[in-house]
Amino acid sequence: MPDKTRRTYNIAMVSDFFFPQPGGVESHIYQLSSKLMDRGHKVIIITHAYDGRTGIRYLTNGIKVYHVPFLVIYRSSTFPTVFSFFPMFRNIVLRERIEIVHGHASLSSLCHEAILHGRTMGLRTVFTDHSLFGFADAASILTNKLLKFTLSDVDHVICVSHTCKENTVLRASLDPLMVSVIPNAVVAENFRPLSYEPPSKTSTTYNTAHKPNNQASFIHPNPPPPRLHLGPHDTITIVVISRLFYNKGTDLLTAAIPRILENHPNTRFIIAGSGPKAIDLEQMIEQNVLQDRVEMLGPVRHEEVRDVMVRGHIYLHPSLTEAFGTVIVEAASCGLYVVCTQVGGIPEVLPSHMTVFARPEEDDLVAATGRAIAALRAGKVRTELFHEQVKSMYSWTNVAQRTERVYNGICGDISEGEFYGYEAANYPGGNSWSAIRGRSGVQSFALIDRLKRYYGCGIWAGKLFCLCVIIDYLIFVFLEIWFPKNKIDICPDWPRKVLKEKDPRDGVR
Amino acid sequence: MLTTSPHLHIRRPSPTTAEFTVTTRPQMTIPLRLLLALVFLTRLLLGTAVLLLLYSKWTQSPYATPLAVPPAHTPPPLLSTTTLLLNLKTLLATPLGLFLSNLASHTPVWALLPPCLAALYLCLHRVHTTESLLVLRGLGIQTSSTGGTVLTGTSTRFIPTEKICDVLINEAFRGFEVRYYLVVVVDGEEDLVVVFPRLLPGRKIVEAVWRGVRGCLCEGEKDGHEVKS
Repeated sequence: MPDKTRRTYNIAMVSDFFFPQPGGVESHIYQLSSKLMDRGHKVIIITHAYDGRTGIRYLTNGIKVYHVPFLVIYRSSTFPTVFSFFPMFRNIVLRERIEIVHGHASLSSLCHEAILHGRTMGLRTVFTDHSLFGFADAASILTNKLLKFTLSDVDHVICVSHTCKENTVLRASLDPLMVSVIPNAVVAENFRPLSYEPPSKTSTTYNTAHKPNNQASFIHPNPPPPRLHLGPHDTITIVVISRLFYNKGTDLLTAAIPRILENHPNTRFIIAGSGPKAIDLEQMIEQNVLQDRVEMLGPVRHEEVRDVMVRGHIYLHPSLTEAFGTVIVEAASCGLYVVCTQVGGIPEVLPSHMTVFARPEEDDLVAATGRAIAALRAGKVRTELFHEQVKSMYSWTNVAQRTERVYNGICGDISEGEFYGYEAANYPGGNSWSAIRGRSGVQSFALIDRLKRYYGCGIWAGKLFCLCVIIDYLIFVFLEIWFPKNKIDICPDWPRKVLKEKDPRDGVR
Repeated sequence: MLTTSPHLHIRRPSPTTAEFTVTTRPQMTIPLRLLLALVFLTRLLLGTAVLLLLYSKWTQSPYATPLAVPPAHTPPPLLSTTTLLLNLKTLLATPLGLFLSNLASHTPVWALLPPCLAALYLCLHRVHTTESLLVLRGLGIQTSSTGGTVLTGTSTRFIPTEKICDVLINEAFRGFEVRYYLVVVVDGEEDLVVVFPRLLPGRKIVEAVWRGVRGCLCEGEKDGHEVKS
């Protein structure tokens, strides 16, 4: 232990979505877990069993994954049986000595159940929301009610963008103070531009060759990469990589492509991804006879995304709703100029010099793409510098640090004032939330306090939720009698890593 | 009282041999022996009564052929079906037998059979479970496990050394819990051989056995490895 005051935790990440299934939530959980392991915490992942992936497995880095056998109903979400997961969950939590339950994704019923049971067992709980939802349609109302149920009694919520935070706060009627924003990150090493040299190599040659003056080489460790030149007649390739669904804006894309290609002669499109809207795109290509200028690649694996991206100059992202949009960060990291719709959390993601924004409508998207092409041809955009900039903005290490601070806050290791802000903590007479939160800045585990929180969820829902919580508590008592704690084997821990140095530069933002 | 939680006995008759026995049988004391004898007697009586009850039900059914009793003046040989049937008849004539046939005549078959079968199972069920693992360096290992009832014998399995790929500890979901278990990976077989399959003892015992097996099987190699499942 380099630092006596620093505390490490045993954390359980719970979500229905995990590898071998590919996706954003899945890789978020994996990256966050492995970086938390690097910081000396113990992390296990609880998910349901996939085909050919059951039982208990170890990943590299010593992350332990429990693939709990469960029934899958819809798009790899499990059937929401409120209590059936409890005995197994309790067993896992006790044998791994878990202190913090961290659930991911609001469509995962496993995560909601785990948070409910975790609170019943007296554990700290965190929930990370990865998506935006509407308020109007029936499915959203149901999901929002379920979310409200779970989040009535959770210690802290993490959202991936400020838009997502706003959405979640409204959907679950949360106190905004207990919602933090920690964005996703990308592994920048996996998304390098085509002609990229690692900076360490470049800087050493630069230093040894002709630099006795250390001061200058310290300020500019790498020479800027050579500027890319695009003549007025060079072909500009526009890349689109997305699942071809309605919410990803494929209809917008179908309408915009012929107009863009008509306005700009030396341009072509590469479209990767699959989905129900692929047929519309193909029809559009047939009708306008654009086979030689639009290339459709079909589905690509995540590790091949970079190879597709580096073939282009502009990345077009026509999505209609997006909580964060990791893919545009990946595109910028590959050195692509990004044209995207100004929806959801997208405007927060990249600085303005890397993006051209459009309203989510056909005319504006065409105009924005035209502006981007013109800027590239004029050489106004230094896309070759994007990679280093993205690399310094987004790192999983930083995400892990900020998540760790949330853990510190809910466990009471840093003071309420430091965690929630001094104004909120010392707000005179402002007991509207501190009555719920308790005096030490942490939520009370007493059953009556929990029931108070659930009761406010609605006229009927409140009573129903209270009933669920009481039944959950009774099951807990029964389990304590039937499967006593001392009969459960304790797992040996994977050798923990020791956090080496504390870099003052990458402090918590 | 009659059983304990699984515990481990290690026997090392020679440096190259070790036997690991996991059993639920407690230390034998005189009161315990008396108690076990009492249990045995009770089970014997209960079993006889149940069989008698079933027999009387059978005799009352229309399928039973009436017992053809030969004349009494020629006593049949002691070991014959006739003697058995005669004894059964006399037993049925005793007060207990009368009570049982009375009970049989008043109970329908569907109500009578399940409790009888349950009682028979109770009589035949083994009180203690003992499972063992015998390791012989250079030869192989033998697992053995007592059957669930008195009628089934001990099942054993011998695995020669050249067939053993590895001996390891793994975790798995079982019912509502996650359990540790010791497995032998056998060359050329799809399934693993689980050691102590019925008792599935806890981590402490499994680890001790694992270390012992490694120490005994692999000579020269010190048994001080970290457990990695």
